[in-house]
Amino acid sequence: MPANKKYLTKSPWIKLSKILAGSLGGYLVTLSFHAALTRAIPKEYVMVTSFITGYLLWATLLLVAFLIPKSWKTWAIYALLTGLFSGIYFI
Amino acid sequence: MDNRKYNIYFNTHTISGIIICAILYVMFFAGSFSFFKDDLASWQKNQSYLSHKGEIKKDFNYIIDSLSKHHNLKGRDVDFTLQRHQAGVYVAMSASHDPIVKQQKKPKKKPEQKRGRGRGRGGDDDSAFFTYDFSQQKEADYASSYTIGEFLYRLHFLAQLNQVFPFRIGVPFGYLLAGIVSFIFIFALITGLLLHWNKLITNFFTFRPWNKRKIVWTDLHTVLGVIGFPYQLVFAVTGVVLIFNSFLIVPYTKLFYKGNDEKIYKDLGFGVKEEFAYANKPLPNRLDLNQLVSQTEQKWQKSDLSLVAVRNYGDENMHVVLQAKPHTDAQLNGVGQLIYRVRDQKIISENAPLEAASYVQTVRGLIYHLHFGDFGGRPLRVIYFVLGILGCIVINSGVMIWLVARDNKSIPERKRKFNFWTANVYISSSLSMLPVTAFSMIALLFLQKPSQSDIYHWYFYPWLVLSVYFLALRNLALVNRQSLLLSTISCFLLPLLDGIVRGNWFWNTYQRNAFDILFIDVLFLCLALISGLILWKTEQRKRALSSPEEASQKVALPNNA
Repeated sequence: MPANKKYLTKSPWIKLSKILAGSLGGYLVTLSFHAALTRAIPKEYVMVTSFITGYLLWATLLLVAFLIPKSWKTWAIYALLTGLFSGIYFI
Repeated sequence: MDNRKYNIYFNTHTISGIIICAILYVMFFAGSFSFFKDDLASWQKNQSYLSHKGEIKKDFNYIIDSLSKHHNLKGRDVDFTLQRHQAGVYVAMSASHDPIVKQQKKPKKKPEQKRGRGRGRGGDDDSAFFTYDFSQQKEADYASSYTIGEFLYRLHFLAQLNQVFPFRIGVPFGYLLAGIVSFIFIFALITGLLLHWNKLITNFFTFRPWNKRKIVWTDLHTVLGVIGFPYQLVFAVTGVVLIFNSFLIVPYTKLFYKGNDEKIYKDLGFGVKEEFAYANKPLPNRLDLNQLVSQTEQKWQKSDLSLVAVRNYGDENMHVVLQAKPHTDAQLNGVGQLIYRVRDQKIISENAPLEAASYVQTVRGLIYHLHFGDFGGRPLRVIYFVLGILGCIVINSGVMIWLVARDNKSIPERKRKFNFWTANVYISSSLSMLPVTAFSMIALLFLQKPSQSDIYHWYFYPWLVLSVYFLALRNLALVNRQSLLLSTISCFLLPLLDGIVRGNWFWNTYQRNAFDILFIDVLFLCLALISGLILWKTEQRKRALSSPEEASQKVALPNNA
């Protein structure tokens, strides 16, 4: 039995928006998160750890983008997180 | 779990899975066989690497001497990166640091030897890169040392696609695709786990093989998926890291190193971190690399040399850096390093390989060892192989669930047709892999010194022909049975013909300690027996289903190994 359509996004544009938010936005959150970590931990350690945690986090964020009902919310949350983490990294 | 979440997991799992299924199957299948890459190479060349292990003499001085015949070595860096089994070495000679040698840069005598296998370094000078074979004592020719083992190994990260893709996109297309597929695979694994989370334990103990076909596949998919989950997650993550870590490395280089990629690799523990200034004074001492190497090997027991790097050749500030990795049964991770100053023949720093490994080396080592399965000998590789083939079955059963779930009256005819053809293309191309692999290996038995292009032809054309034939059958159950039949025959013929053509009967290879060749023959005999057994069971069941109409509709287990 395929998944019940009642619970899925219907508009193809919103679907696309969610996929982009999850993949691109999730990627930026992942990168900025690990960049922010280098403020506290030596960067070699962060980089080599992110080889494992980075991809897992990115894939999870891609899934979360589908779980958040409104796609603009996903964009907003991911933009906020990216901003926050890059802020920590650059300041 | 609320209904909405469940359906989202379900939908994303289905879509991501169906997108990657075909490529993922190829990666799993070829990858499983590449655990035996060296054995396959020995098998094809009929030269057991195991039967004369330890006789290889590593003559570095000879390489240096022959390099100096064509180049002025003064002020150059020469890196020797040793291959895993120590029989060959990748040699990279840099341009000279010496201002005079730099100026008299002669026109090249030999054509450039670049083969694009090492990490590329600029080609603006008279540097040289090549692979040297210690056992044959000559420069190894990549195309002629190419074997079915190398072919399957490279197929599992889609290297062959790099050449097919017509546009230049700045990165090798095959690797990029392999990276993306591995990443989507991580996603599919996470959604799959969450999807089954609530009923993980009950479903794990549910297997109803004599039920309706859809239920069989669902059970198979769930049970094998859960058993294989840790293994598959490890391979998905380490796979992305090993084949397309550019996702992270490129932005890190930009952010943390201002684009200096040599520095990031050094920080991540590749190559030699120390730098040695060029003094521009000639050095009278001669360097005996062989002696230094054998001394160090004596001192560092239970380790294999991984790198011999000469810095500033013939200069007063000439150094040799030796690196070695511990045998995995002594210690899993770690790198030993010794720096030797040639001027006063002094060791200026030394860390033994068996000292505790740094964090960076530990993580990198884990990623590598977990993916290559090289830390438990042959038994572990066999377990890895079986788990890999189980992965293939999970993928196959997933596609079958997808097809059968959409095969009902409420779905429009047009869509059902499309679904059937999607599954047909997938099943036909994937199930033809095992018979084709065995067939092309049999073909190699009859070829004189098969080259890389021979292997391409004898693999890809039969694969294409058989897939098209299977496609034309338009009957998945029949495809499965015929594939099983062909697998049984070809996998059985492989050890048989190896015995007839080359005299490699089991007892002969056993007697001359050629266990690697023996292993491949036994492996294929086992595959033949298993395929035959499944075929027999399928036929038996087909006959048991009395009504002929029902029998023709029944699609057998998409089980090919």
